Amino acid sequence: MTLDLSVFNRFAITKKAGDIIFCEYEPGDAFYLIQSGQVKIVKIVGEIEKTLDILNPGEFFGEMALLEEAPRSATTMALTDVKLLEFNRANFEVLMQGNPQIVLNLLKLFSKRIYDQKRRFMILNFGDDHQARVADVFLMLEENQPRPADPTDVVRVFPNSAEDIANWAGLSVAKVSEVLKQFANQRRVEIQQGKIVVKNINDFTRFVKSKRQE
Amino acid sequence: MPKATQYKTNSVIFFQGDAGDKIFILKAGKVLLKSNDIETKEEIKELVASGEFFGVKSALGRYPRDETAQVLSDAEVLVFTVPEFEQLVLSNTRIIMKMLKVFSNQLRRMVSKVQNLISKGNNKDLETGLFGIGEYYYNNRHYKQAQHALTRYLGHYPEGRYSAEASELARKAGQGAGKTDSTDIFAAAGAEADFTPPKATPAPGSVDALAAKGFFEAVALANQEKYLEAFKIFQKLVSTNADPEHAAKAEFEMGRCLVFLTKYDEAIKHLTALITKYPKHPDLKDALFFIGRSYQGKGDATWARNFFNKILGIAAEDEPVSIKTRKALKELEGAKA
Repeated sequence: MTLDLSVFNRFAITKKAGDIIFCEYEPGDAFYLIQSGQVKIVKIVGEIEKTLDILNPGEFFGEMALLEEAPRSATTMALTDVKLLEFNRANFEVLMQGNPQIVLNLLKLFSKRIYDQKRRFMILNFGDDHQARVADVFLMLEENQPRPADPTDVVRVFPNSAEDIANWAGLSVAKVSEVLKQFANQRRVEIQQGKIVVKNINDFTRFVKSKRQE
Repeated sequence: MPKATQYKTNSVIFFQGDAGDKIFILKAGKVLLKSNDIETKEEIKELVASGEFFGVKSALGRYPRDETAQVLSDAEVLVFTVPEFEQLVLSNTRIIMKMLKVFSNQLRRMVSKVQNLISKGNNKDLETGLFGIGEYYYNNRHYKQAQHALTRYLGHYPEGRYSAEASELARKAGQGAGKTDSTDIFAAAGAEADFTPPKATPAPGSVDALAAKGFFEAVALANQEKYLEAFKIFQKLVSTNADPEHAAKAEFEMGRCLVFLTKYDEAIKHLTALITKYPKHPDLKDALFFIGRSYQGKGDATWARNFFNKILGIAAEDEPVSIKTRKALKELEGAKA
């Protein structure tokens, strides 16, 4: 959906590729809507910069700052030259009056984010049970992809790498590779070039469910 | 059009885990939402008030229901598709605002729960965290990012624990910016990144444009050793009082720029006036330091020493300014020998 955003021109700012838009730990008082270009969301964990997401035109970021004053939870950087609309609490009303559709999109985004965080919590909450963590990541990825046309089809192909899984599971890549090897030995998964095949997604559902009841 | 639907006592409108794209409003009767706390697994029960929406988040976010909606006594509900719901709330923006507030609270709580799990016993304070970001980018030779992060740090914590280190790194990063090689993260990300160094030099002659750039941009310029440009912006900010919040800081920065521009006499005059005007200026000791530096630059070791010793008399031993000062005094001794 294209939105007419010309009324918001006075909120427009531009950033060059590589510019930091805000840093993790900074107090947050503004949120952004991307008009053109791409924005990268990163977090420095240990001594590694992890890319959490890459956002495209029409997407928001920094929205958590909107209703509560709280420090930024990640660093954002212009990946290309970008044009952004910058809003804060004071001019949020203007946005609301001028374009309730944007605010509704924000509401949808919040709905999705709450769930993502909840899922993330459930995965991490398995603690030292690394198998459960990894299996649950597959279930989460499954929830986010369209259902197969044939409901009796239990094989799932995930276009993800061990790094992706590690990121979600909150584990090191080495740990995740170890777990994947265990699963492969049990013939639960097959690791292929650039993808991971889960032989029977229901098996993982049962596995995670039983772990969760423990 | 939303559909009115009747549910009998003890029936279930949806189960936890169901896929669902409908949103409901309770018109009459009693509906109970049951879910489990994700931490304690305790059952949470919540009665839907009459006229209240339910099933909103899962429908909008397109994820499985996280509650079971059970009918306690015969109920009438209005069932909306997502487009119908959108149409309704777009004409009543107060509903959106109210929901946004509730959702943002929930989101914030979830995020902090997740953070607790990730960083058990590894909680950085904000100041250390922010400085750490600048330091990380500096150490990894992403100078542009380092400079941005450190400038932000200095903006938020001008008198912070790491401010001396931060200005030093920011200055070095300023020298390094533009030298970033092809191993840069952006090249690695495969994006069409533009590697020209930050075009901070403003269009000549446009003084208003300079003022519009603001305090932190000027700090950034100074960090890139573009002292003349920085000085002009600070001066404009002070003379127009365009940024009252940072006016005193800007006056101090003007003095600092003058020192780096080796305009020592002007620097001494400016900084002395500053100290008189703001006897409690947060950068007082640094102002003294730069006066000392100016005398040192002029070759007036006696006066330089006077100022440096004065700083050591009022500053704590481990303050960054004391460290700088002791170093400067040592330089003076070296010059003598």
